[in-house]
Amino acid sequence: MTEQHLPPGLIGARVRRKEDPRLLTGRAQFVDDVALPGMLEAAILRSPHAHARIVSVDVSAALELPGVFAVITGAEVAQACALPQPVIWRLIPDQRMTDLYALAHDKVRYVGQGVAAVAAADRYVAEDALGLIEVEYEQLPAACTLDEALADGAPLLYENWPDNVSCRQTVPKGDVATAFAAADVIVSETITYGRQMGTPLETRGAVVSWDPFTDRLEAWLSTQSPNLARDLLGEVLGLPVERIRVRTPDVGGGFGNKFDFYGEEVVAALLSKRSGRPVKIIEDRLESFVANAHSREQRIEVEVAAKSDGTITGMRGTVYGVLGGQLSTVGIGPCWAATVLMPGPYDIPNVEVTVVGVVTNRSPYGSYRGWGQPKANIAHERIVEKLARELGMAANDVRRKNLIAPDKFPYPSPVFYYDSGRYEECLEAAERAVVDRGWAKRQAEAAKEGRSLGIGYSFHIEISAIGPSRILNQAGLQHSGFDEESVRIDSTGGVIVRSGLSAMGQGIQTALAQVAAQTLGVPLDSVTVLTGDTETNPYTGYGTGGSRGAALGGGALLRASTRLREKVLRVAAELLEASPDDLVISDGRISVAGTGVGGRSVSMRDVGDATYRRLDGKLPLGETPTLEERDVLDPDNTAFSYGTTAVLAEVDRETGRVQVLDYLIAHDCGTVINPMIVDGQLHGGAAQAIGGALFEEIVYGPDGQPLTTTFMDYLIPTASELPAFETVHLTTTADHIPGGFKGMGEAGTIGGASAITAAIDDALRDLGVGVVQLPITPPRLLSMIEAAEAGGTATDVEEQS
Amino acid sequence: MTSLDVTMTVNGRTVTGRVEARRTLADFLRKDCAATGVHLGCEHGVCGACTVVLDGCTARSCCTLAVQADGAEVMTVEGLADGTDLHPLQEAFWARHGLQCGFCTPGILLTMRELLADNPDPSEEEIRESLSGNICRCTGYQFIVEAVKDAAAVLRASSADRG
Repeated sequence: MTEQHLPPGLIGARVRRKEDPRLLTGRAQFVDDVALPGMLEAAILRSPHAHARIVSVDVSAALELPGVFAVITGAEVAQACALPQPVIWRLIPDQRMTDLYALAHDKVRYVGQGVAAVAAADRYVAEDALGLIEVEYEQLPAACTLDEALADGAPLLYENWPDNVSCRQTVPKGDVATAFAAADVIVSETITYGRQMGTPLETRGAVVSWDPFTDRLEAWLSTQSPNLARDLLGEVLGLPVERIRVRTPDVGGGFGNKFDFYGEEVVAALLSKRSGRPVKIIEDRLESFVANAHSREQRIEVEVAAKSDGTITGMRGTVYGVLGGQLSTVGIGPCWAATVLMPGPYDIPNVEVTVVGVVTNRSPYGSYRGWGQPKANIAHERIVEKLARELGMAANDVRRKNLIAPDKFPYPSPVFYYDSGRYEECLEAAERAVVDRGWAKRQAEAAKEGRSLGIGYSFHIEISAIGPSRILNQAGLQHSGFDEESVRIDSTGGVIVRSGLSAMGQGIQTALAQVAAQTLGVPLDSVTVLTGDTETNPYTGYGTGGSRGAALGGGALLRASTRLREKVLRVAAELLEASPDDLVISDGRISVAGTGVGGRSVSMRDVGDATYRRLDGKLPLGETPTLEERDVLDPDNTAFSYGTTAVLAEVDRETGRVQVLDYLIAHDCGTVINPMIVDGQLHGGAAQAIGGALFEEIVYGPDGQPLTTTFMDYLIPTASELPAFETVHLTTTADHIPGGFKGMGEAGTIGGASAITAAIDDALRDLGVGVVQLPITPPRLLSMIEAAEAGGTATDVEEQS
Repeated sequence: MTSLDVTMTVNGRTVTGRVEARRTLADFLRKDCAATGVHLGCEHGVCGACTVVLDGCTARSCCTLAVQADGAEVMTVEGLADGTDLHPLQEAFWARHGLQCGFCTPGILLTMRELLADNPDPSEEEIRESLSGNICRCTGYQFIVEAVKDAAAVLRASSADRG
């Protein structure tokens, strides 16, 4: 394994973020802060029914309301668009596609699906106008749950399909049948993962201005994927992309919800074309709960074959993805990822996993940080825990027995090659930290007081640096995965980095500035990173997701900056009458090595001046004026980060309430650019994992009505529910990424639920409780405890929500 | 729709306007007073992003009507720094990575300012309790708690200097 060790410097430094002053002082610009002359505000009329035929839509009264400028219906949207809403992840060739437009026109298939939209003087008037639109519906029987959708004779969401199954695919590796036939022990489990979503605190929004004379479209989108959005706007609206400019202001959290391309962007564009005015659509929180992509909801069947010493020889699994009423931008993507990553960090020679995508009368299933991996993780970690109980072994001993050994990398999983890792060392680092923190003692002391504390572990892997464009295309992605970065030194020595990535709170502007500053040898203050404009910034494939920004953006920028540094040295060599090979750059000054303080030197400003303004006699003959480099990184492979999560939790047996007392993550993401940012990402991801494990669930009533559309009902953890987090770091660099960076933005979300469920099981080990449904809310856990105390089957309690 | 005249002080400046009775204070501050640091995260009074200081006490501007603030003194996050000197809470949040996307931050800063005015030396539990009316989806809160502790120490030291 090639280890890339960068010299100590700004890469690896805990520097304050460049983004923060504007965010701390109210000077940031989020999409709702964009105000254009003549701008209108729009609102969308949404379906109140889970499944209904649209008989008629009468907008005449709405059009007559003073202050209303334009109204558009689903039928008009379909007519105005060149293509339906796109699905970019087409992983299964014979998948049945839903091919719906930005607003519904024949049927509605979930509560909240858009039916018509109004642009008016302001949002108040637009909402008044919604109340004047008359829609006649013919209600249809709905298939609101997975079981209802799969039942014989189920109502069909798409009447030209034979059933509600959009796709099914099996991914094999090795010979599973033989492994199971020869097994000493087989354990199986069925896990139900509840419906959850990213809920960035800033809801989604768009401002679009369509010049009807030139068909030029300017859009401000709260999006993680500006280049993708621009290309998809072009496809859907039938416009050449050179006429489309997407600007991305500050993004108030993304978490995958803002990766996807939604109908609202298209509706805003069409309303703008119709009215001749810029149109803003900002969803409110109630809308967000039905119109944003939902995620996580899967039923997972998993079983493993093992030898009596704990060696896992085979794994079988089926993932049922509960897709909702239409395919989102990412289609079956997250459910497919949950399926093919189900073996996780374990060296399992024989694997057969199947994904089944099922449409239901719920909101569409799309991206949420983790993107299938929390479900893959719960599958392999729950089954490892169960196997350990079956064999009477410690769960971590079963993990150790099966973790991929360092010399087996690159390791061929059923689909991906894992690039590098020291998995067992990471597990042991977490175990040592747990000992240091005295958890076993706390557990024992609490037991004396009659309190039930448990310790749980999980091991996760995280696919990052997505990814190699051609391989992604072969897999079915209708988009690329490279990243392009540019770096320019101006006439005074200042550095401007331009990136196609979105700044959404993850600190990408700071991280890229650190990479450029260290590579060029300039102070961090002299570097400005510009993001958020497709007209002036480079193209990033995919988008700001898949834990790719720091790894691919950082890698591309490192290469570009390295070449730019060489040019700086050539110019400085001319100014200093020295050889470039003898020069060093430090803190923005270029000097002859070994001459010490007071030796000959020039500043970056001198080099800038010699390259842009006063060239004669200074810029070497043959050198082109300007100081700029760009680089495109299309990696040979993705990069796999990994980590161990350990949780100390207390279960109240009287109420079923779980309190997470302490939380630890041992983690490896290759070269760390900014440890403070990495810790922040781990904390925030862990908070979302805790929410998903214990509190958060989008619940539907039996009629398909969503019951959780406020923050009073959908429970995001507050400061009172969360513990302090401890992190421990290892560094195993990605040898195929310049700088050795691996991504880690999703890490915290992946292993949290698994470790929490293991801790709960441990706290209740006398009862033999095994948690298999998430979130494990107090009523659910209490009913498991009561069933176990009554001698029932502890794992077999649950209603379908 | 009935419109009414309102006058209030926003970050030290007197503003007047004629607003519909249903116009929220948040919309008035954001759109009529250019105080776009007031953020709307839920518009039902749970997330706390729209928190402002209304006559000395924090209030949810999404659930307050502009007409209810007639005659009031309002402070938003734009009024927190002293000229170009950041408030100790702003400095501490910056140093401690107490924010990521920053959307919740204005509301949290003003809520913590109120906490520290009432309780200059809060325990971690008291900070978490006081924070629990504000949702942050990014940070997991730990670095916010640490930032508030740091800011509290700075504020205590500066009030001791003055005292």
